Amino acid sequence: MERLYIEGTKSTPEIDFDPSKNNLKISGQSYPENAFKFYEPIFQWVDDYIKDIQGELLIEIEFKMPYINSSSSKCIIMLLDKFQDAFDEGKDIIINWYYDEENESTIECAEEFKEDLSLPFNLLDSGR
Amino acid sequence: MNNNLLELQNILKENNIIISFSGKFYQGIIEELGEAIKNRMEDEETPKNDMYNVFSIYIEQSQNIRNYILCKKNSNKYNKIENSGIVCISKKDSEYCISSGNVIENEDINTLIEKLDIIKVMNKDELKKFYKAELKKEPAKDSLGAGVGLIDIARKASKPLEYSFRKIDDNLSFFQLQAIV
Repeated sequence: MERLYIEGTKSTPEIDFDPSKNNLKISGQSYPENAFKFYEPIFQWVDDYIKDIQGELLIEIEFKMPYINSSSSKCIIMLLDKFQDAFDEGKDIIINWYYDEENESTIECAEEFKEDLSLPFNLLDSGR
Repeated sequence: MNNNLLELQNILKENNIIISFSGKFYQGIIEELGEAIKNRMEDEETPKNDMYNVFSIYIEQSQNIRNYILCKKNSNKYNKIENSGIVCISKKDSEYCISSGNVIENEDINTLIEKLDIIKVMNKDELKKFYKAELKKEPAKDSLGAGVGLIDIARKASKPLEYSFRKIDDNLSFFQLQAIV
């Protein structure tokens, strides 16, 4: 599996999915003109990656997103659902969601995503 | 030469407008203006919560305008719609007002009123549930995201949204939406 790296812009987060470390990172604001178009190759990569996982590996997914617009939220839900499905099939997956204490919407939005999932979902203060 | 700039500036001042853009909305302009809004609010040491609420209302409003323009590409009224967008952010005391306006086709008014009327009477908890349900319902592929954007604006605003439609002619009206933080 090749590493997936997409450089961040003002309206799209940096994507750094490194299969050699089993670590997937998304960091930055997300409000592209067409969210689905931006996230589609990421969905594809994640589908292939999950299919490819061999043996018992702990996969860590890290979110550091100060702002997510409504159409990107839809895509983040779709992404989280993919991880939830993999978890339900027995894969070892944890989500680490970094919030900003001063920006309450980052906590609220993470809690709302978390509500519908049963995989390990940690809310962590990015200031610490 | 246009000698009305001073008058225009005075109108902006009288209305406490700190940032405004009028014309054709592109993603690039939306991003630049968004950064400018955040920088300005950081300079004024605005609390981060307020800053991100203002920023996200502005983003949803301006992307709604942008999406409307895109979906009217084949309309015979396109030339009247294309450049009709405006967004203004004003500040009075510690209250920010984010207003947007654009020309829409009269046939779209009813759908919009229906959506806004549902949202208008909801409290924060109802808005949250409605937002989540709509996010899951909406097909991601073809949708340009409008609809949930309005719910998100209502969630981030500290007062109920205000809106109006001003008739231009038999085919077109000017839609204005205002949110307070």
